[in-house]
Amino acid sequence: MPSRSAQGGWPIRSEIARPLDRRRFLGGLGAVAALGLGPGRLAAGASEVRFGLTPVFLSSDIELLTQLRTYLSAALDRPVTLVMRRTYQEITALLLSGQLDAAWICGYPYIQYRERLSLLAVPVWRGRPLYQSYLIVDRAGEARDIAALRGQIHAFSDPDSNSGHLVTQAALAEQGETAAGFFRKTFFTYSHRNVVRAVASGLAESGSVDGYVWEVMSEIEPDLTGRTRVLWKSEWLGFPPIACAKALGETALAAAIRRALATMGADPAGRDVLDMLRLDGFTAGEPALFEGIARNYDLVRALG
Amino acid sequence: MIGLRQRIGAWPTTLKVPLIVAVLMVAISVVLSNKVLLRQSETQQRHLEELTAAYLDGLSASIEPHVLREDIWEIFDQLERARSGSLGARAVNSIVTRPDGRILAASDPRAFPSQGQLPPPLGARFAAGGALVLDEAAGKAFTRRALSYQGRPMGWIYAEIDIRDLLLERREVLVTLILTNVLLTLLFAGLGTLAVQRMLRPIGTLAKHLDRGRGGDMEPIPEAEIGAQHSEFGRLFRRYNAMVEAMNEREALAARLAEEEKLASLGRLASGMAHEINNPLGGMFNAIDTIERHDGDPLVRRGSLAILKRGLLGIREVVRAALVSYKGGEPDRPLTPADLDDLRVLVRHEVQRRRLTLVWHNELPASLALPGPPIRQAVLNLLLNACAASPMAGEVRFAASLQGAALALTIKDRGPGLPPDVAALLESDGREATPPLEGRGLGAWMVSRLVGELGGRVRARAREAGGTAIEIVLPVGEGSGLRDVA
Repeated sequence: MPSRSAQGGWPIRSEIARPLDRRRFLGGLGAVAALGLGPGRLAAGASEVRFGLTPVFLSSDIELLTQLRTYLSAALDRPVTLVMRRTYQEITALLLSGQLDAAWICGYPYIQYRERLSLLAVPVWRGRPLYQSYLIVDRAGEARDIAALRGQIHAFSDPDSNSGHLVTQAALAEQGETAAGFFRKTFFTYSHRNVVRAVASGLAESGSVDGYVWEVMSEIEPDLTGRTRVLWKSEWLGFPPIACAKALGETALAAAIRRALATMGADPAGRDVLDMLRLDGFTAGEPALFEGIARNYDLVRALG
Repeated sequence: MIGLRQRIGAWPTTLKVPLIVAVLMVAISVVLSNKVLLRQSETQQRHLEELTAAYLDGLSASIEPHVLREDIWEIFDQLERARSGSLGARAVNSIVTRPDGRILAASDPRAFPSQGQLPPPLGARFAAGGALVLDEAAGKAFTRRALSYQGRPMGWIYAEIDIRDLLLERREVLVTLILTNVLLTLLFAGLGTLAVQRMLRPIGTLAKHLDRGRGGDMEPIPEAEIGAQHSEFGRLFRRYNAMVEAMNEREALAARLAEEEKLASLGRLASGMAHEINNPLGGMFNAIDTIERHDGDPLVRRGSLAILKRGLLGIREVVRAALVSYKGGEPDRPLTPADLDDLRVLVRHEVQRRRLTLVWHNELPASLALPGPPIRQAVLNLLLNACAASPMAGEVRFAASLQGAALALTIKDRGPGLPPDVAALLESDGREATPPLEGRGLGAWMVSRLVGELGGRVRARAREAGGTAIEIVLPVGEGSGLRDVA
């Protein structure tokens, strides 16, 4: 059975995607294991860099992961190990406990632990370091607004996901509702793609999904996203950032990682990675980008 | 039933044997096909049971922790994964429920939504113990597996498996078997027909010759045809030929004997005739003497001439009867009443010699569509025999009458009776009986032969008051009847 980390996260699973995109985008556990444990040491003397990927990030394409690791190893002139786990929580815990040098996390854990984290870079998608959360329903469904979803079965991606959990919770909180009270039943799929699958198959009647993931999937797997319909889009919020523990924020390694990400588009290998991710590049970013998420967090917390 | 059996029994062997071969082939193929299909269906079921058990084992192991946590997504994800490829590319619909029947997740959530109840009609299709239930009409198999954790029931996995491929395979095997068996049956029946026809060809030859022999001409089978037969048919043909030769020899002997008998009776008749002619001759010479002596007396001359005329008439009668009997004329000339009456004249000498009384009843109204000469011959024979057997001054009776569509001729005497072997010979069909090689019974054999040829029969019985009564009954052919009546 493939590991959970292999199936979780951003966007795409190998079984269904188109051949070209699948080859470029997707992968499996084997790749992860190879990447984590393989030799790949470029500079014999330099210590290894451990780079975490939350399932919010696409987690499975061998080629993408290989290219990313290759690019980072070359750019940092050190061996790089990519570390993946099933849940956001696990990656966040590793990052906070110093077991990871840096990690691509979600805006929600970043806000939760912003006092203990330093921002390294924020991806730029469609010209801005922003994205949206989508509420999706069955394509043939009758629902025209969030209120129509009352009493349904709803799929979330991860408890610590902004777009796949917090945004919907906040939207309900604005109406004085909680997810548990509003929906008949909710469950977590621990991957945005699985939220789309759950809604497309009819297992869930609605789902909360990362807008960036849904848009990329609609290019790669239109058959799957075609069975869903976007009912509601959130405001624009800060794109899931790359962060490191605050204690490491001012080190040479952090600076090197910042530089490597910011100059990715200038390097052919880096350009390939960005193309695969459908991203324009990385920007330094500001904590202020995540104010919207912070507001949602406060809103939901206030409701209990 | 018996009629049908008889009718089938009448079918030619060339048809029956291939038919039996075909019936046996069909029976064998039905039994074999049945066996094959039964075996195939058992194998398929066992195979499916093993696959299903493996499928459910794997699935239950992987979903049990998720069922414990009621993790809808993970259960669904496992069902989806297991769906592809676990059961030989067969589509499987799986439903996982809690013990109370509430659905946790199904591989087709639209049909069986989470949190819903398992439809009772569907639940009823599964065997209580979890055994595989095949519904061939629907092309599906149903089975379920209990889920438990530390001995506590957690729910059920229901699996609905598409087995149309298995049924199709079974149907293909059935069709192949039927086609093969039909072709083989036809082939073997055809070969059987050819072989049996070939084997039975000599029987046909024999039957053809026997059929031809019924018309009277027994022909031996040509040596060229026998030469080709090395089997028992060769021996059969040779035996048949030997039989034909013997029969033809017997036929020739019978003809010669008949001719001899005819000549013998002719001899007897000739001597009788000589008496018949001689008797009036004395009176006639007397009359001539009288005329010579009393030439001038017209009264005497007229009287003598009358005597001469009666004498000559008597002679002419005898001569004419003899001529009719032995000169022949057309052999198939119809029988007339006069033909029988003539016989009176022919036996008169014998009657007179033994001073018998001949009682004559000829009630034949007109000529009949029966050949006259052989009947006269037969009756003459019997009359002469009756006269010879009668004691001196006894009585011989003859009667001829029509009884319906048959001519009945009866000759009765007061003799000592016929010896049993002669009586048997008389009553036999002379065409088949062997002619007696000694003199005795030759006449009886001839009579039975003549009557037999006309399709009639002879009956000889002892009369109660002593003597013998012989009756000849001859069928008068339809449409022929009384010729002169019309």
